[in-house]
Amino acid sequence: MIRADAFHLPALDLDRVTGWDVRRFGDEVELRTPLLDASLLEGVLERLRAARARALADRPVAELVDIIDRAAGRLADERDPLRRQAEGALPAITGYSPPMVRLIVERMARDWRADALHALLAAELGDARVLDGLRPDPAAAGRHRRAYGPELAFHVFAGNVPGVAVTSLVRSLLVKAATLGKTASGEPLLAALFARALAEVDQRLGECLAVTYWPGGTEALERLALESADLVVVYGGEETVAALRGRMPAGKRLVVHGPRLSFGVIGRESLGREQARHVAARAARAVAVFDQQGCVSPHVLYVERGGGLQPDDFAALLAEELARLEEDLPRGRLSPAEAAAIQHARSAAEFRGMAGRTVRLFASSGTEYTVLYDDDPALTPSCLNRVVWVKPLEDLFDLADLVRPFAGRLQTAAAATTPERLARLAEALGRVGISRITDLERMPWPPVTWHHDGQEPLRELIRWVDLEV
Amino acid sequence: MLDLEGEALRDQVIALCARGVDRPLEDAVFDALARRIFAFQFERNGPYAAYCRRRGRTPDDVAHWSEIPAVPTAAFKEVRLVAGRVEAAEAVFRTSGTTRAERRGEHYLLDVTAYHAALLAGFAGYVLPDRAELPLLSLVPPGQQMTDSSLAHMVAVLVERVGAQGSAHYADVQRGIDDDALAAALRRFTDGRTPVCLLGTSLAFLHWLDRLRARGERFRLPAGSRLMDTGGFKGRRREVPAEELRSAYQELVGVPGSHVVNEYGMTELSSQAYDAGLRDWHAGVSGRSPRKLAPPWMRVLVADPETLEVARPGAVGILRLVDLANLSSVVAVQTEDLGGEVEDGFVVLGRATGAPPRGCSIAMDLLLSAVEERR
Repeated sequence: MIRADAFHLPALDLDRVTGWDVRRFGDEVELRTPLLDASLLEGVLERLRAARARALADRPVAELVDIIDRAAGRLADERDPLRRQAEGALPAITGYSPPMVRLIVERMARDWRADALHALLAAELGDARVLDGLRPDPAAAGRHRRAYGPELAFHVFAGNVPGVAVTSLVRSLLVKAATLGKTASGEPLLAALFARALAEVDQRLGECLAVTYWPGGTEALERLALESADLVVVYGGEETVAALRGRMPAGKRLVVHGPRLSFGVIGRESLGREQARHVAARAARAVAVFDQQGCVSPHVLYVERGGGLQPDDFAALLAEELARLEEDLPRGRLSPAEAAAIQHARSAAEFRGMAGRTVRLFASSGTEYTVLYDDDPALTPSCLNRVVWVKPLEDLFDLADLVRPFAGRLQTAAAATTPERLARLAEALGRVGISRITDLERMPWPPVTWHHDGQEPLRELIRWVDLEV
Repeated sequence: MLDLEGEALRDQVIALCARGVDRPLEDAVFDALARRIFAFQFERNGPYAAYCRRRGRTPDDVAHWSEIPAVPTAAFKEVRLVAGRVEAAEAVFRTSGTTRAERRGEHYLLDVTAYHAALLAGFAGYVLPDRAELPLLSLVPPGQQMTDSSLAHMVAVLVERVGAQGSAHYADVQRGIDDDALAAALRRFTDGRTPVCLLGTSLAFLHWLDRLRARGERFRLPAGSRLMDTGGFKGRRREVPAEELRSAYQELVGVPGSHVVNEYGMTELSSQAYDAGLRDWHAGVSGRSPRKLAPPWMRVLVADPETLEVARPGAVGILRLVDLANLSSVVAVQTEDLGGEVEDGFVVLGRATGAPPRGCSIAMDLLLSAVEERR
């Protein structure tokens, strides 16, 4: 049994804590968080703000990058006890298989290393030192500019992909915001471990960061956090976002990463005998990573007709590749409801086939993977956990109209086609609201500098000051 | 209309219903009839037969009723599951569907008498275990206004056949619940010390209770009054736990929790299960687990969601119902609900579809409804 503290509350007055929330995940993991009340949380928030004035506000950004890099280095190091704790506990907590947890932590940690952070700062701010003081503004001769982050930020995390919370904390620290992160019940650990690593590298910076869990919707705590913070960042489903939005004090900035849908598209020129196998393998991996729980995960793969392989044959190939992935990247553990949703999707497809539509099912004998081929090209969301639709396209450029009904909720489109067609496709998809167009291999792993949901994640956190001389 | 063989089976089902819910039915008797009905349907229903063959389960292979292939409710949206000609159906009920784009499930009944026998006997056994004769006050519109709705049909049959004098519908498809008429009726029955039985969907009750609360109105119905509610809040933003609803019934209508009976039924079935609470209370039994009971002519199985085989005892899984009164469609139905067996009954633990994703990916239902709103 792994027992761990799923919080980092350097400013908490432990003597005043009257109770603990202890949650067990199977027989393997037990996580502990203190039960907070509004007065305890108020103390935490006040001390976060004070610590920022002491240890963060005037710290050069290059130094922050260095500290974050060293903390991330611990999570990137397989031999480090914190990394081992994460790898040991996250499978039981999240349901992801151990190889999946390893892959996710490994890949996500790259985004928190110095080179990635420098790239991020450069991409969004040009000159990162605008966070440290007035710098010449290249846009106007004689003008200087300076960027300020919020003094105190409140982040509300989702539990689907471990590491996303850490990325969010890192962005917040880079703009010198003291930060309170509220974790999700589905993944309360990694952000707390990162915070602890950070505090061990630099205790003073560690005092500017707090991570803990309480059940979402706990009115007294959330009202206080929303009122105290200068800026709020929220990740989550429709209802979580709507509930928080409704309680936001007027005039305060809210950064939302709400639910999104992604898909893949394969042009006929990528369906030659040799190539189709490679494409299917990459598509299978894009489906498998995060067990489709990521906003970057594809729900549907569109396959253009007229290539070396017909769309339904591609579906069969995709299923073979998903079966192969069960070996080295097994699907995680499901709740009864999740497994039942897969059975439901399969049987609904079977009867759609009986009703005379062209529907084919390629699936494991258990619920491990499911490929549903359906002649109807309408974009259909999946119930996730490696259930993917394959749908035919008469022509690649029919795609924009098919996904248009979901505009505003679309995110990544991964395409396998020629550079010429890709450019034209990207133009059309950009118009209907896709914010990222990539290839199947890169699909699950957006680069650190991406325009997350079409935005600029650092610039969203800061405000500018211009000095005109 | 059923053929001759169907009529013979129907008469047996009606005879079973006539025994009521008190006497248990031997498994061998249930099994024999269930398998005969399965064979009857297999011969007459192409899609069902194809579904069974694909699973290697024809009437020759099925040795026990628990092996009869259960048809998922989603199938009713795609194919016609009827043991005979569709044109011969005496009634067809359709599912409501949460979005316009969604296809509606259709349940064809070739003969309504078995359906009526089952619903009357079930209601009598679980809502009227004391054999009370009560005015039935319906918050469901009259059946002729909602010919597609199995619930409206059921309530209409109850009002007509079981309801004591004063039974009536207090809702209309166009205008909704007639609050004033309902309030006047409740006051009249309260003054006359006549206990009543209210019937409606949980959602209709919820909205009605909200209006009562807003107006500061409340009733204290005479002892023996009861309430049957049904349905959850599928696809609704507002969810209210059953306990909260129960305490509101007590507070605003004066019906204690012991006399609130939640019905578990669906368009694709002919029989209904009910909360055991009122039956337990009437039998003077206390301290038993809250659970639903199926009448003797309907049995519940819990299927392992991973394998679709019968789950180990006590496990949570997909609820399957084998309903002998589903004579002219399919005798075994796999629901979209999760649940588990408890004592002599079962509990419903939520929907088996559209399990919410764990974060920033998207819930299917929400996405579809959002797209619907845009149209």
